[in-house]
Amino acid sequence: MPDVPKDVAASASTVAIPLGRRTRAEEERDLVRQAQSGTEAAFEELIRRHQQRVLALVGSILRRREDVEDVAQQVFLKVFISLKRFDLRSAFSTWLYKITVNECWDYLRKKKVRPLVYEADLSEEQVSRLDGIVSADRPVAGASEQAEVKETLEWMLGKLPEQDQQLLVLKEMEGFSVQELAEILDLNVNTVKVRLFRARSRLMDVYRRRTSPGSTKSGSHSANAERKS
Amino acid sequence: MGHEYQTGHEYKSSACPDYEALLEDSISGEIGGADAIRLSEHLKTCAGCREAREHVSLTPRLLHLAEATADPGPGFSRNVMARIRTDRDVRTERGFWQPLVSMGWRFAATATLALALLVAYDSTFHVEKPAQQAPTLEAARIPDMFSPDSGRVPSSRDEVLMMVAEDEHAKH
Repeated sequence: MPDVPKDVAASASTVAIPLGRRTRAEEERDLVRQAQSGTEAAFEELIRRHQQRVLALVGSILRRREDVEDVAQQVFLKVFISLKRFDLRSAFSTWLYKITVNECWDYLRKKKVRPLVYEADLSEEQVSRLDGIVSADRPVAGASEQAEVKETLEWMLGKLPEQDQQLLVLKEMEGFSVQELAEILDLNVNTVKVRLFRARSRLMDVYRRRTSPGSTKSGSHSANAERKS
Repeated sequence: MGHEYQTGHEYKSSACPDYEALLEDSISGEIGGADAIRLSEHLKTCAGCREAREHVSLTPRLLHLAEATADPGPGFSRNVMARIRTDRDVRTERGFWQPLVSMGWRFAATATLALALLVAYDSTFHVEKPAQQAPTLEAARIPDMFSPDSGRVPSSRDEVLMMVAEDEHAKH
């Protein structure tokens, strides 16, 4: 078999991705059509394909684990009821994620609460452990360290405006693309990029303020307070 | 050249606003072609953008430390489908009784309206009736000497005189 020149190989791989995506998109369209005509198995397959991302999206807005699954179920129920009205002009995922965002805001409005805000400070050990992992560029070891890192990151994110938190979590932790975020949040792609960059900058301000020598390190990170609006 | 500006929530960046989107692409590793060359040329001359890029360069590593939301597994989709079926059953049941329920509501609404109209009419009637039939104070004081007794009808002139005399006698 002859060697494939690098540039040709690169172009072949770039073609392969859209083809794969198109197949998956077509497959999804078929599933949607079947679900619209009343096939329950097709709708269940759609749920299976999107449940993780819907849960991630709900989690990034509500930040309340006990409500996340319930709201995500409610989202799929709404989608099922209004599925016949979906005209397939946009991607099913975009439509689904928009319904998810609206459902979350409706939920927060009805409950008259705002997403969780971390009011207590981090402990010194937590900060130094996170700093050690980041500066050594080593992976997180074990479930307990993972839980602690997540808690520390959530504390840091909690110091940012809600939209910044949401953008960073969805982009960096949950793997949503900028294009997807723009569609979900009804924003221009460029605006999403600018907001993401600024959110990163604010996050680093929080991180540096906490990890730099001489910063006030007091209290313990234990209380999660719910702010009633 | 980069310049410092500030918006809400303590945001302070030294990056040029026109290059923030490209800097984001660069941090995410989603930059290429002409954009990569343009940013690279700009970074050579703009210390502000270089500093801003350096400031946020750690964020992907930092945020990737946390795991993404775990897939809830097939139990989730089964629960959703069960909820959908329950909801559909409730809707179907409601659909069966719906014509009767709506007819009942219409009847109740019509009856309420009719009752309200009757009450309104009745209250108006009761207010006007005593005003029309109430005798004046003076009329109540004047004795009716000439109206015949409802039980007795005089048949002659003598009987009339007799009835007047009896009335006068009864008064005294």
